[in-house]
Amino acid sequence: MKVPIERIRNFCIIAHVDHGKSTLADRLLEATTTVSAREMREQILDTLELERERGITIKLVPVQMKYRASDGLDYVLNLIDTPGHVDFTYEVSRSLAACEGALLIVDAAQGVEAQTVANAYLAVDQGLEIIPVINKIDLPSAQPEQAAKEIEEVVGLDSSEAILASAKEGIGVKEILEAVIKKIPPPFKDRVGPLQALVFDSTYNNFRGVICYIKVANGTLRTGDMVTFMATRRSFQVEEIGIFGPEMRPVDELGPGEVGYLICNIKSVEEARVGDTVTSQRNPASTPLPGYRKVKPVVFCGFFPIERDEYPQLRDSLEKLQMNDAALFFEPETSTALGFGFRCGFLGLLHMEIAKERLNREFGVDLVATVPNVVYQVKTTSGEIIEAHRPSDFPEASLIEEVLEPFIKVTGFVPAEYVGKVMQLCQDRRGVFLGMDYITPQRTRLVYELPLAEFIIDFHDRLKSVTRGFASIDYEHSGFKVSNLVKVDILIGGEPVDAFCFVSHADQAYHRGQDVVRKLKEIIPRQLFEVSLQAAIGKRVIVRQNVKPLRKDVLAKCYGGDITRKRKLLEKQKEGKKRMKQIGRISLPQEAFLAFLKSGDEEEE
Amino acid sequence: MRRRNNTRLEPTSPVSLYVHIPFCRSKCPYCAFYSVIPTPVEVTAFLEALEGEIGFLSKSSDRPLLRTAYIGGGTPTLLSPADWERLITVLESAFSFLPTAEVTVEANPGSLAREHLALWKDWRVSRVSLGVQSLQDEDLLAMGRPHDSRQALESMAEIKGKGLSLSVDLLFGLPAQKLQGWSDTLRRVLDEGAEHLSIYELTLEDGTPWGSHPPRDLAAGYPFYRWAQYYLEKKGLLQYEIASFSKPRRWCRHNVAYWSGAPFLGIGPSAWGYDGTVRTGNVADLERYRWLIEKGIRPTLFSERLEGKRRAFELSVLALRTRWGIRIQEYRRLWGDQMLKDLQDSLEGLPPCLFRKAPGRIALSKQGMRVGNTIWERLVP
Repeated sequence: MKVPIERIRNFCIIAHVDHGKSTLADRLLEATTTVSAREMREQILDTLELERERGITIKLVPVQMKYRASDGLDYVLNLIDTPGHVDFTYEVSRSLAACEGALLIVDAAQGVEAQTVANAYLAVDQGLEIIPVINKIDLPSAQPEQAAKEIEEVVGLDSSEAILASAKEGIGVKEILEAVIKKIPPPFKDRVGPLQALVFDSTYNNFRGVICYIKVANGTLRTGDMVTFMATRRSFQVEEIGIFGPEMRPVDELGPGEVGYLICNIKSVEEARVGDTVTSQRNPASTPLPGYRKVKPVVFCGFFPIERDEYPQLRDSLEKLQMNDAALFFEPETSTALGFGFRCGFLGLLHMEIAKERLNREFGVDLVATVPNVVYQVKTTSGEIIEAHRPSDFPEASLIEEVLEPFIKVTGFVPAEYVGKVMQLCQDRRGVFLGMDYITPQRTRLVYELPLAEFIIDFHDRLKSVTRGFASIDYEHSGFKVSNLVKVDILIGGEPVDAFCFVSHADQAYHRGQDVVRKLKEIIPRQLFEVSLQAAIGKRVIVRQNVKPLRKDVLAKCYGGDITRKRKLLEKQKEGKKRMKQIGRISLPQEAFLAFLKSGDEEEE
Repeated sequence: MRRRNNTRLEPTSPVSLYVHIPFCRSKCPYCAFYSVIPTPVEVTAFLEALEGEIGFLSKSSDRPLLRTAYIGGGTPTLLSPADWERLITVLESAFSFLPTAEVTVEANPGSLAREHLALWKDWRVSRVSLGVQSLQDEDLLAMGRPHDSRQALESMAEIKGKGLSLSVDLLFGLPAQKLQGWSDTLRRVLDEGAEHLSIYELTLEDGTPWGSHPPRDLAAGYPFYRWAQYYLEKKGLLQYEIASFSKPRRWCRHNVAYWSGAPFLGIGPSAWGYDGTVRTGNVADLERYRWLIEKGIRPTLFSERLEGKRRAFELSVLALRTRWGIRIQEYRRLWGDQMLKDLQDSLEGLPPCLFRKAPGRIALSKQGMRVGNTIWERLVP
């Protein structure tokens, strides 16, 4: 079905986690019979296995729906699902760029939450038309009036025409579809101008190469056209174009405003960057569409294959994952303990976990992730600025002029009774109070500035436990600031061990050094001699402990002359220690490193 | 009867013999030795099968000459005195004994009868190794032993009363075990006249009830082991092996044969043998053991021949169990300069206190014996 561009609508759904976005998307697909009841699965847009399991959306998935509106005309509605989690703000902003309007879902029982505000602001920023939807009105605890009031008072949007809905019960679905048609403008049109199509996402298929998700802004894209990617200046012949229904369905052409996919035998990541503009080779556009800001990863950790010979496989998998996850950054890294691997950069902790699990599930790579850290800017005495992705990137202490670390502005929606505890948590994490106001007498909005490093380890878990899950937070980056930071070296038997060193605020260096040394003391197997463990800043030792020598380890019994058994036990024992790392005279089992490097959650007692 | 004789013993060179009696009154929850709870019929059948197995060892014309024999189990005292008479007849007809032969029998309090002792005394038995395990009744109860401390004391007195040399087996690292109880056990065992002690740390073995469901409150073995090393030395006993202590020159020559890599014969289900080159193991199942012998098949299910580095490794570890350790000259002669250097390199960097000052030998000190496992592991090729 071909409709004139006036009858195309591109929109997305934005919501706080769990406010019912995916369920609403499902209902829209049903109501437009895009997906038959037989095909209907819950949360059909959440295609990744992982998304279904976690009940969250990570990747944006576009889908085309056809709808006969009450005016008797047929419309094409392109729904672009968006992730809700703060880590994936970048993905949200990309999907917003492909839309002209957004449905803002607010839970009638919970009201406006931190991410409601953050995502609504992104949409406003893109100039999108926003339709507020108050969802879950069927819940006994629903307070739609209160939610509407919060939309006006907290977000600042007109809620007088907010649609009352229950995606679960199918209430309000028709009204939503009508509102999409009436309120959201059709895409800007220029059917004859030179082709401009935005690559807003891509995925990789082993057989077909790179599949670009595109929105045509101007002109028309046809199968067989020669197209050029404007940033990379690479040209390809269009092999296939199509729409999402939600499966990929080939079409002959994509006109202005249409959202679909493009396959043109692209084999390499580098040749089809997300954010690039596709134009016609014969009649190229003079300028690309406004590109995306290049997101910089803020959280880093090392990924290492558990089996050393799986390194090439890990590299290939990361490359493929990057096709799918434009925000992922990685570079090769070697570790004394873990061998060859990659230092990877992420937008946040959830992003990191998701990447790890996807590598595992989709690519079958078993890997170890080290404790995450933030990126630091180190200014040296010679005026140079070093970007430190890991503690070992720090220069010698005497050469450091000052160290800057990333800060974030955290906005929390907190029930009034927990404000004290949340403030305490923020203070403990070196937070600076920026402001507080009451949304309702029972709920406050609390704003703090925090070092990102204090946030990434387990802030969410702590927050959840002190507020029993009743607080929601969102954050934005507020830039790099000077902090009194030191690099703490950990020495085992007098030898510094890279894998264990860390960066800390000077005031916390002693306590964290103590924690690390204490943990190491538990992990390090006893040797036949005493082993010293030290934490040091430069040459100054701040913590010192000793691992007492092994005192007893005897295989005592001799089962009636069964000497073979004893030999085999020893051989097995030795085999188990083959992967020991030699540090000076000390052998450490790989497990010790793993136990240490993986356990970020035990950083705080 | 089909003969498959793997053993290549010179008819005149004396060897050691181990006989496994696979019967117990009840199974202890920690024990991994092979044994079953017998019926009288089974005992008779076992003795017949044992006789059959001996038939494989040698031609009747050149009966193996024994320098030591060890009849263990299981619980050899579960055989009635009548069964014992039969066993003795079988052994006497199949083997010759050196006049100085050391013959040890394992016995358990609770099943050791005066008649046993009388028979043994009249035969060749010189040592009785008694499975006392502990003289603390709470320990014995926790271990599920079928005897109490009073029976153990009586048995010890009876063995001594017959003029036999008394060796006692003890366990440490038991559930809720206390050092006071352990030192009391050691003291009373010596008071009863034990000349030899084997002390073993309780190990949780796969395939035993405690292996899959460990008891609670297991005591760490180290303090008990250290106490034993300290106390027994003070009482004039020599630690001649990691788990063995004896009055001067009263060490168990049979066990010393194991550790010095000497050849030994093993008969009975699950028994092990070694002919100086090939190590063999019998099937650990009485039914199958009997069945194989009835069919004229040797009940040996396992055999291995170790050569080169692995053989050197095994011999070194065995030697390092004992206070005599490895004789450097002999090692060089057997394995050459390079392997001697490899051996020394693998022990390089260890604290000197782990080794005994013994010229011409590499031997573990008291401290070294405590961490033997970690040291031996370094020798694995």
